[in-house]
Amino acid sequence: MSEPLLRVAGLVKAFPGLTALDRVDLDVHSGEIVAIVGHNGSGKSTLMKILAGVYTADAGSVQTAPGTELHFIHQDLALVDQLSAAENLALRRGEGATALAPYRSREVQDRARELVSRFGPPFDVTCPLHRLTPAQRAVVAISRAMDGWTHSRNVLFLDEPTESLHRTEVEVLFEAVRRLAAEGAGIVFVSHRLDEVRSLAHRIVGLRDGRKVADRPVAEMDEGHLIEIVTGVEKMDAAERTPRTHGEIALRVRGLSGASVESLDLEVRAGEIVGIAGTLGSGREAVPSLLYGATDAAASAFTIDGSDYPRRSPAQSLRRGMTFAPADRGRLAVVRDMTARENFTLPHLARTTAAFAPVPGGERAETAVAFAACDVRPARTEQRISLFSGGNQQKIVMAKSMHHRPTVLLLDEPTQGVDVGAKAAIYTAIERGAAGGTAVLVASSDAKELAGLCDRVIVMRDGVVGAELSADDLTERRLVAEAYGLP
Amino acid sequence: MSITRADVAHALSFRNISALYIFAILFIVFSLWIPEKFLQPGVWRSLLDAEALTGIAALAALIPLTAGALNLAIGAQVGFCAILSAFLLGKIQMPIALQLPAVIVVGGLIGLVTALVITRLKVEPIIATLGMSSILLAGMAWISNSQQILGLDPAYREIAAAQFAGITVPVWVLLAVAIVSWYVLERTPAGRRLYAVGFNPESARLAGIGVERLQLGSLVAGGALAALAGALLTSRLNAGDPTVGPSFLLPALTAVFLGSTQFKGGRFNVLGTIVAMYVLAVGIKGLQLAGSPRWVNDLFYGLSLLLAVALSQWDKTSRRSSAIGRVVDGLKRKPKTPAS
Repeated sequence: MSEPLLRVAGLVKAFPGLTALDRVDLDVHSGEIVAIVGHNGSGKSTLMKILAGVYTADAGSVQTAPGTELHFIHQDLALVDQLSAAENLALRRGEGATALAPYRSREVQDRARELVSRFGPPFDVTCPLHRLTPAQRAVVAISRAMDGWTHSRNVLFLDEPTESLHRTEVEVLFEAVRRLAAEGAGIVFVSHRLDEVRSLAHRIVGLRDGRKVADRPVAEMDEGHLIEIVTGVEKMDAAERTPRTHGEIALRVRGLSGASVESLDLEVRAGEIVGIAGTLGSGREAVPSLLYGATDAAASAFTIDGSDYPRRSPAQSLRRGMTFAPADRGRLAVVRDMTARENFTLPHLARTTAAFAPVPGGERAETAVAFAACDVRPARTEQRISLFSGGNQQKIVMAKSMHHRPTVLLLDEPTQGVDVGAKAAIYTAIERGAAGGTAVLVASSDAKELAGLCDRVIVMRDGVVGAELSADDLTERRLVAEAYGLP
Repeated sequence: MSITRADVAHALSFRNISALYIFAILFIVFSLWIPEKFLQPGVWRSLLDAEALTGIAALAALIPLTAGALNLAIGAQVGFCAILSAFLLGKIQMPIALQLPAVIVVGGLIGLVTALVITRLKVEPIIATLGMSSILLAGMAWISNSQQILGLDPAYREIAAAQFAGITVPVWVLLAVAIVSWYVLERTPAGRRLYAVGFNPESARLAGIGVERLQLGSLVAGGALAALAGALLTSRLNAGDPTVGPSFLLPALTAVFLGSTQFKGGRFNVLGTIVAMYVLAVGIKGLQLAGSPRWVNDLFYGLSLLLAVALSQWDKTSRRSSAIGRVVDGLKRKPKTPAS
C-alpha cells in the first residue's frame, strides 16, 4: 500500500484526573473512508480537536503526506444561516488586499453551482441557508471545506455529520462522501450511528477510554464486534442489583410530546429508579426537561402523587416536589458566580422564607449538613461554586436537588464529566434518595450506569419508546443494542 | 468559621478595596497641592450633600443591573422626573404632599414601561433603555419648552435644604435608600434571586425563579428611586432645569461599575457603589478646586469608567469572573462552540 495521507502515532493527551488519549495510532490512506466509533468520553472528540489544532498533544506525532491538508466539518457545520450557499462559499475568498474588491455575484454563484453540483442534484444557491434542507446544508459545508483544493489528496474529517439529517437525507451526504473518496481524498468519519458506519466506512477504528481497541476492515466486523467496541462487554451478564420495594405511582404521564419526543407514556413509582436510554437525538436528552416544564410540552395526562398537574413550569414543579438536575452543569445547573451555599439554597429559599424577609440564620449550618451527607470536598460553603471540581459541583447540584426529599427527582447525565470517586458518591446519593421514597428518573448516555443503577430502563429511538428493559434483560449490552436499533 | 490571616490580607488587598487606596492617594495629593482650599470642612460638607443625588441615581441604576438590566436611561429618568416635579408645582400648582408621590409613581411607571419593552418585546436592555432615554428627553423638552421652569413654591426648597444633626435631607435620604437596598440585595431571598437572574437567567429559571417578574420589579424600583432623585433635584434648584438631569448618567454608572470591583469580588453592590461614587466625587472636587476647566469632569468620569471595566477584565483573566465582564460579554456575540 502507498504511503498514508495522514499518520498519527502514539498520541497522548491527559487532562487533570483523566487520560483522554493513550498512545493512539491512526493511518488514513488516499481513497479510504475511516469511521471512528466509541462511546462518550472515549476520546473521539479529543483526537479530532488535537488534529484541528484546538488542543496540543502531550506526546506523539502527526505527519501528513507532502501537500496534504486536513479539513474539518463540525457537527454544527459552522455556516452562516442568513447568507445564501453562494455567499457562504465565497466567505473565505477575498482576504487581504482583495477584501475591498467589488463582489461579483454572477461569478460567485456560477462557482457555487459548480461546487455543489459535484455532490448531487443542484439547488438554488441564492436562497438563504436556513431555507435549505439539512442535507443541502451539509453539502454546502462539504463544498466549502473542499473549495480551493488544488488536488484531491487531502483528508476531510466529518464529526457526527448525520446528526441533524433525516434518515432519507443521509444517503445524499454519503454519496457526496463516497465520490470524494473515489477522487482520492481520505475521509475520517465520526459517528455513533453504527448502522451508518457499517454502510459507509471501509475501515473501522474503535476507541474506548482513550485507547484504540480495534482497527479492522468493515467486512471483518459484525454488529456484535461493534457493540463490544462501544461497551467493552463481551458477554451478556446482568449487573448485580439489590431489589427495591416500590410504593405508589408518584409520576404518571400519558402522551407527552415536545422537542424531539413524540407521545411518551411513563410511570414512575415512589422509590423506583427508572432510566431513559437512547442515542443523542433519540429524545432521551429531552425527556427530563419536558417533564420538569423547562421545555414546552403537551401531555394528555400528567399527575404527581395522584393530583393533576396541567400547566407546567419549573417554579410549579418545585412547588409540587419535582426537582431537576440538568446535564449542562455550567450553563444550567449552577450559577457560577455565586457561592456553594447560595447555589444550594436558591430553589428552596422561596419555600421557607417570604421574598423580603431576612434569610434565616441557619442557612450556613443547613448547607454544611447537606454537604457533609453528599461528601462535598472541600466542605467550604462560602467558596464560589466555580472553584470546586466538576465532581464536587455535581455533588452540590445533587444535594440541592434532593434537599427536602422531593417526590420526583429528574436527572440528566448525573455523572457527566465527573471522576470515579464522585460517581460513586452520586450513585450512593441517588440510591439513598430512592430508599427514602423519591421516584427517580435518570436520562443517561452511559449504558453501564443505567444498567447498574436502574430498576427499569426505557430506551428511546427516534422520539418514541423503542424498548423497555428490566430484570435480567437489563444489561449494558442489551441497552446499547436497543439504542442503536440493532437486533 | 475563624478568620485567618489570608482572609485579613484579602480584605485589605488593593484588589478588594482599591477605591479606598485611590481615595487615600487623592486625599494626600490634593492636601499637599491645594491645602488651603481642599482641607476646608465646608468643602466636605457641601460635597456630601451635592453628591447625595448622584448616589440615589446610582442605586437606581444598581438594582436593575443586579438582575442583568443595564439602564442607559437613568440620567433621562432623573431629568424627566425633575422637570415633571417642577411642572406639577409651578404650572399646575399641585400641593407638595401630592406632587412628591405623583412624581414617584410616574417614575415607577417609566420603569414598568421599560421593563415591558425588555421582557415582552424582547428588546435587549441596553437598546430598550437607550430608546427610553431619547423618548424621555423629548418629553422633557415638550413639558418645559426647553426652558427653565421657575417660580416654584419656596416651601419646596426647604426639603432639600433642611438639616438634621448638621446633615442635609438628601444625605439622609441616600442613607435610608442605601440601607434598604443593601438589606434587600444582601439579606433577603429577593436579593439572592435578583443576583441569580443577573448572573445566569437560564439557571435561575430552572431554580423556579420568575426571571421576568424580578427584572420588572427591579426596573420599577429603580424608576421610583430615579424619580426621588429628580424630585430632590428640583427642590434643591428650586427650579426645573432640563439640562441637569441627563448629566447624572455617567457618574451614576461609573460609580456602579467601579463599585462592583470593591468588597464583593465582581458583584454589583451597594456599599461599593456609594464608596466609589464619593471617591470619584473627591477626585472631581479636588481638580475643580485646583482650577481645572469644567470639561475635566467628563474626562475624569470617562477615564474612570474605562479603568473600572478594565480592572474587572484583569480580574477575569486572573480567573475571577466579574459582573462587568458579563455585561461586556453580553454585548459581544458569543461564538458557538461546536458540541462534540
